[in-house]
Amino acid sequence: MSILANKDTRAVIIGGVAGVNAAKRMAQFDFLINKPLTIQAFVYPPEAGQQKEIFRGGELNNIHVYGSLTPALQEHPQINTALIYIGASRGYQAAKECIEAPNIKLISMITEGIPEKDAKRLRKLALQHGKIFNGPSSIGIMSAGECRLGVIGGEFKNLKLCNLYRAGSFGVLTKSGGLSNEAMWLCAQNGDGVTSAVAIGGDSYPGTDFVTYLEMFEKDPATKAVVLIGEVGGSLEEEAAEWLGAQKRRIKLIAAIGGTCQEVLPQGMKFGHAGAKEGKKGAGSARSKMNALREAGAYVPDTFGGLSKAIKQVYQELIASGDIKQEAGIDEALLPQLPPSVQEVMRQGEVVVEPLIRTTISDDRGEEPRYSGYAASELCSKGYGIEDVIGLLWNKKLPTREESEIIKRIVMISADHGPAVSGAFGSIIAACAGIDMPQAVSAGMTMIGPRFGGAVTNAGKYFKMGVKEFPNDIPGFLAWMKENVGPVPGIGHRVKSLKNPDKRVRYLVDYVKNETSLHTPCLDFALEVEKVTTAKKDNLILNVDGTIGCILMDLDFPEHSLNGFFVLARTIGMIGHWIDQNNQNARLIRLYDYLINYAVKPERPVPEKK
Amino acid sequence: MAKILEGPAMKLFNKWGIPVPNYVVIMDPNRLSQLGEANKWLRESKLVVKAHEAIGGRYKLGLVKIGLNLEEAIEASREMIGTKIGTAEVRQVIIAEMLEHDAEFYFSIIGNKDGAELLLSNKGGVDIEENWDTVRRMFIPLDETPSIERLTELAAEAGFEGEIAERVAKISSRLILCFDNEDAQSIEINPLVIRKSDMRFAALDAVMNVDWDARFRHADWDFKPVSEIGRPYTEAEQQIMDIDSRIKGSVKFVEVPGGEVALLTAGGGASVFYADAVVARGGTIANYAEYSGDPADWAVEALTETICRLPKIKHIIVGGAIANFTDVKATFSGIINGFRESKSKGYLENVKIWVRRGGPNEAQGLAAIRQLQEEGFDIHVYDRSMPMTDIVDMAMKS
Repeated sequence: MSILANKDTRAVIIGGVAGVNAAKRMAQFDFLINKPLTIQAFVYPPEAGQQKEIFRGGELNNIHVYGSLTPALQEHPQINTALIYIGASRGYQAAKECIEAPNIKLISMITEGIPEKDAKRLRKLALQHGKIFNGPSSIGIMSAGECRLGVIGGEFKNLKLCNLYRAGSFGVLTKSGGLSNEAMWLCAQNGDGVTSAVAIGGDSYPGTDFVTYLEMFEKDPATKAVVLIGEVGGSLEEEAAEWLGAQKRRIKLIAAIGGTCQEVLPQGMKFGHAGAKEGKKGAGSARSKMNALREAGAYVPDTFGGLSKAIKQVYQELIASGDIKQEAGIDEALLPQLPPSVQEVMRQGEVVVEPLIRTTISDDRGEEPRYSGYAASELCSKGYGIEDVIGLLWNKKLPTREESEIIKRIVMISADHGPAVSGAFGSIIAACAGIDMPQAVSAGMTMIGPRFGGAVTNAGKYFKMGVKEFPNDIPGFLAWMKENVGPVPGIGHRVKSLKNPDKRVRYLVDYVKNETSLHTPCLDFALEVEKVTTAKKDNLILNVDGTIGCILMDLDFPEHSLNGFFVLARTIGMIGHWIDQNNQNARLIRLYDYLINYAVKPERPVPEKK
Repeated sequence: MAKILEGPAMKLFNKWGIPVPNYVVIMDPNRLSQLGEANKWLRESKLVVKAHEAIGGRYKLGLVKIGLNLEEAIEASREMIGTKIGTAEVRQVIIAEMLEHDAEFYFSIIGNKDGAELLLSNKGGVDIEENWDTVRRMFIPLDETPSIERLTELAAEAGFEGEIAERVAKISSRLILCFDNEDAQSIEINPLVIRKSDMRFAALDAVMNVDWDARFRHADWDFKPVSEIGRPYTEAEQQIMDIDSRIKGSVKFVEVPGGEVALLTAGGGASVFYADAVVARGGTIANYAEYSGDPADWAVEALTETICRLPKIKHIIVGGAIANFTDVKATFSGIINGFRESKSKGYLENVKIWVRRGGPNEAQGLAAIRQLQEEGFDIHVYDRSMPMTDIVDMAMKS
């Protein structure tokens, strides 16, 4: 048996991340005692519509986050309890709504720093509605074996250590959250554990008082004694003493009161909870509370250290009187174990997981990214350049100095080709339409394909095939290409010709052949092909795509990496065009009518739909 | 609880129509002569100069000077500003008009769980304690405002008569408005004076506490609360407060000069019981400390170093209950770093450290702090099976 929270308690949590963390802890308890999930819904306007993943043991539950209380209660009519975690400035409104909601009987507020006036108003409102408003600043409510509200009870291991999976005979009432946990532990160690434990919070004006809960414990047959931990300030402990002394009570009361140290402290010095402040002439002092409780018949040790002994004594008296019958407890070994996470089990080496993807080029799990094993900063400090990073990430090899120089030149001569070509023009149109850089650049990127910039890979691929399959047989190669592929990729130019050669091609060929020692079978083959094709037609020259493709094959880059050089290089240009248009604050553009041939049907009436 | 100084209190009184004397708050005495040029009352009234700081017993310390003219007030300000009282320094003075008056009254309003209580006496002033039986009280339920008629009756019960009773009722009603709207916890005006010749009233001295948790809804609270511990905060206390205001959870620290047992304890409830245990065993505490709500390890580290620097300490009690969600491993790593750092700076010589704690990751946290034994610390580590405050008993017996 229990008070406040039981097997039928179902809760809504008002608040964000702290509330979600509490829900996770609550679900662990539900798992321990094999109870359906206590938490039903969250209310948190900033995250309305989201779902929160809550594990009850190995079972994953998706708990909905609502933007306001009303729909949450409509969707989940079984909710009878609210836990409030939302920030102090919104706490009053949230708690008020919960108190006024007919289905909610118990409201426990965890939020700290609620203004006193708000707390007083909420207390009054709860009294008017006949509701229990627990807190503010409460760690929560625990009913052993039945329900956990909040993070009270701590981690999973502690739930077992404090026997919270089954009811005992002791009730616990505290202001402090930490001491509620300590008291549950003391009851498990020196007695048979707890029925319910309630932390009312250490504020000046808590929403409830000890007497309210003592009345409930008195009516709960399973509770035989209550451990109350009070402190200096206010009058809740005196009221508890008065309650105890007013008539014969079934339950025994054990109490410890904090704050006797204030007797010897310099005047005016006080500390602890907000509510821990002594009144005039010793009213509310720890000593006067202890005396009042003792006179009323409570067991009151001089110090907290005496609490263990007092609990043990009361427990033995209750056994002797037959009020508590010692029963064989649940075998702890039969209690469920919290399922570990995959990471935990992997650390133990007890599970094998097949990876979803594999990478062979880079790794950033250490202090910094490593490219093919080399730390990025070390590459920088040893004088490597962007060409070497391309070599490592695209080809898993560090290029030689000569190779790096060639790669650098390939990127440089391909970086941009003015605004008129498909790629740059695409980016410019997007920039003028106010599109952000990544999307505008990808608009230009979209143009790269068989007719624009995308011939590098195929040029490299077929010239390499030619070297292998048709050495010294250019006509054979051309015939095969004509039959199987069509025009030779990398051959031909719209504007350039033998008479009007492409300077970039000439430069690259000269550089590679005359200033480096690179072995160039592909390039040589392509130049031989060019001799044959230009004899047929003046503009069937080896173009820049073809030249680059051949050189890259000769540099031993993988075939499918070749278009990447054009993509990479041209990205520089497209970014440049986007920046340029934005710098000029360019306006939206559209084609002039005279640039379009409107070869459409003349205007005509729309027929009736058949 | 946040006590505010006279200046800000006067400003709030003025806002709600409670009569106050003319006053200015200054930090630079030269500013007062310029203010004198602009304000007739400074040139023509008798003035009172008071240190505008949270220092008790200002009159006895010579930090209140009365019956001055402007020149004398400037001189008095010059003398007061920069005066050091213990760890506190006078930085501001308040200069107010001294009102010639015929009678002194007492007004106060104090919050309680159901609302507030208004107290009135027509025998205010320094002898109010002796005249406490003249005080008349009225309970004001939460969110209710008593009628002027009812307040006039109360004033009559307190011995006010005729027009004065009516004015007292009106001022009471404004006091209630001020209390309610400014999230006050208590306001005490002693004395509120009257000059009958022109029926002028003025609150000459005020002690006001506001609810600092309510500051989010008071855009015009441009003041800071003064120390809540009966003296100005020390530099170390200020530093920990600064950290406290920046973190999730909290760290708190109050020095108690002369003590031999330092507290490095967790949780608002348990920390007080540790202080009690020290006192109950005849020890003297060197400080109060508290960390709670799973604060960052660096904040706990700073608190630890502050505590290690306390002079004369012989024991440090690293105590706490079984935490609900404060991570023992993480907070202890802050404590361990703090101890190591302090030791390397020469602190902790002949200091015994006593540890008892439970909570999330307790096994790892306790194992880590136990390691300090091998680094030459005199440290004694216990887990949850040791009753919470028994480490204090052991420390005091050692």
